[in-house]
Amino acid sequence: MKARQNISGSRKILSALGEVVLAVLTLLPLGNLSPNTIRLLFVTLVWVTVSVAWNLVGGFGGQISFGFAVFYGLGAYTAALAINGGINPVLSFVLAALVAMVASLLVGLPTFRLRGPYFAIATIGVSEAVRVLMTNFSLTGGASGYRIMEKGVFRQLDHYYAALILALLAVTVSIYIRRSGFGLALVAIREDEDAASDLGVNPFRAKLLAHAIAAALTGTAGGVYARYAAFIHPQGVFAFNIGVAILLMPIIGGVGTIWGPVIGAVVYGFVNEELVASFPQLHLLLYGTLLVLIVLFEPEGVVGLFRKGYPLLARIRRAHAVHS
Amino acid sequence: MNAADLMNLVISAFLLAGVYAAMSVGMTIIYGVMKIVNLAHAGFLMLGAYFVYELYERFGIDPLLGVVLAFPTFFLLGMTVHWLLVRRIPTSDQPTLPSLLLLFGLWLILQNLAYLIWGNSDRSILTPRTLSVFHLGRITFPMVQLVVFGAAVASLTGLEFVLHKTWFGKAVRALMQNSEAGKIVGVKVERTARVSFGVGIAFAGAAGGLLAMMYSFSPDFGGLFLLRAFVIIVLGGLESFTGIAIGALILALVETFSILILPANYQPAIAFSLLVVALVVLPQGVAGLWSRRRRLA
Repeated sequence: MKARQNISGSRKILSALGEVVLAVLTLLPLGNLSPNTIRLLFVTLVWVTVSVAWNLVGGFGGQISFGFAVFYGLGAYTAALAINGGINPVLSFVLAALVAMVASLLVGLPTFRLRGPYFAIATIGVSEAVRVLMTNFSLTGGASGYRIMEKGVFRQLDHYYAALILALLAVTVSIYIRRSGFGLALVAIREDEDAASDLGVNPFRAKLLAHAIAAALTGTAGGVYARYAAFIHPQGVFAFNIGVAILLMPIIGGVGTIWGPVIGAVVYGFVNEELVASFPQLHLLLYGTLLVLIVLFEPEGVVGLFRKGYPLLARIRRAHAVHS
Repeated sequence: MNAADLMNLVISAFLLAGVYAAMSVGMTIIYGVMKIVNLAHAGFLMLGAYFVYELYERFGIDPLLGVVLAFPTFFLLGMTVHWLLVRRIPTSDQPTLPSLLLLFGLWLILQNLAYLIWGNSDRSILTPRTLSVFHLGRITFPMVQLVVFGAAVASLTGLEFVLHKTWFGKAVRALMQNSEAGKIVGVKVERTARVSFGVGIAFAGAAGGLLAMMYSFSPDFGGLFLLRAFVIIVLGGLESFTGIAIGALILALVETFSILILPANYQPAIAFSLLVVALVVLPQGVAGLWSRRRRLA
């Protein structure tokens, strides 16, 4: 009983915290922030979107994908081509989402029918294969990259709010799914696929749908990023590092939770900024070490630490109250 | 294309299949016994390549002897990794999220340690053997490929012997077939798993050394071979040693002959396409064909 109160207490705190953060994020850029700070916030919001998206499949559904860079990159390239073709940005993002969804089906249709490691294996393969194809794809300049020419003045805040709206959408979708029957079905599949299908869940369809929704969000995030960066290349948006980052963030934060991926993305966004600048080679080594340590010691990430820490904090506070 | 060219391609595909099989067999053992997909396999392949390279460059040890030395070294390394990391994650009858993430993290660690030690430039092992060829009529055999094929076949034969004639081998096969029944008849799961992990890593290291005799390598080396190894074990049905041989041959033939129609830098896409085809057409692997027929009979 006491544990329940603590959890609902921590949930209340988290949702209040969420509202405060949201208000701050909406108003923040109206203050006198440097373009560099806004850029960092923008990038972090893009990360939040993809991290939350990955968690829909990997966290709720328990299907690990190493290949989300494919959706991110395809989204980036689709939006880039569409914007250069004179299509309005919002419509371009929708196109990016659609292309990423189609790609998700190509991976999901052959692999989700089978149980076992097939999906995870195929995602490693598809990300390698797509990067090679895009490096040799002449329409988008191959390995040398592709530039986006957008008419009009560059206004950083437009991009910032696009990323903020997208991140909000991702979190809303995540909360909605987690509370719906579909989300329960996904968790059931993660815990025991046989039992889930005995209870009338169609694991194939549920996994495919979750994967498609996640791909659409990730593709849109790629598009939003591409429009901001105005220049993309296969070794950037399709990079192995991007795939690693997308899976690392929800794991740092707490895989399978709603707020964990958000926290993980924020931590990653800020830490990565420092690490890549100071240790260009070492950062992947640190991420690998982090992954191993989290899996061995705190599989629930930051959220897990918080859950363990909250009752402890409460106990300390109570002890103080008795003393004083 | 005349008959001799065709024969050359077929032969080089067969020779390639040998090393592909050696490279995949370690993954199958680990998957079979522990139901863990060893994503760090790529890292150990790469380390094996550098191990043989360093022995050759520093001490002038022949790469072939280096490969032989790689077996005990990587066996111990594998057992240590199992004892330190792998045994701490929960076991299951199918690959779990923690196991995939743990070994993926280990791969990142190995790969980037190698970057720190050796930098990112490509290395290669050049011996008098590297460029010599052996003629048989109009058919040419590259010497390195012959040697590598010989070594791969010898190591696979050795493994086959161990698996069928020793108690450890029987324990491994028992756990692969039915781990519950294996426990009932007294197989020590933890110890068998540790030794199997060691054997799996030993094969990864040695195969890495063999590959390094044919190709140049960098710390990124293992990635593309990891995908190939996956394709092979999926074609082989994940847990069958005969399946691996056939899977390796299929992949080697498709890759070799695709050179006739596709540019070389599309090769990774070939492995992946084959994986998708295998998953759709032959989800049980080629070994599944026999068992299905047996069930029908």
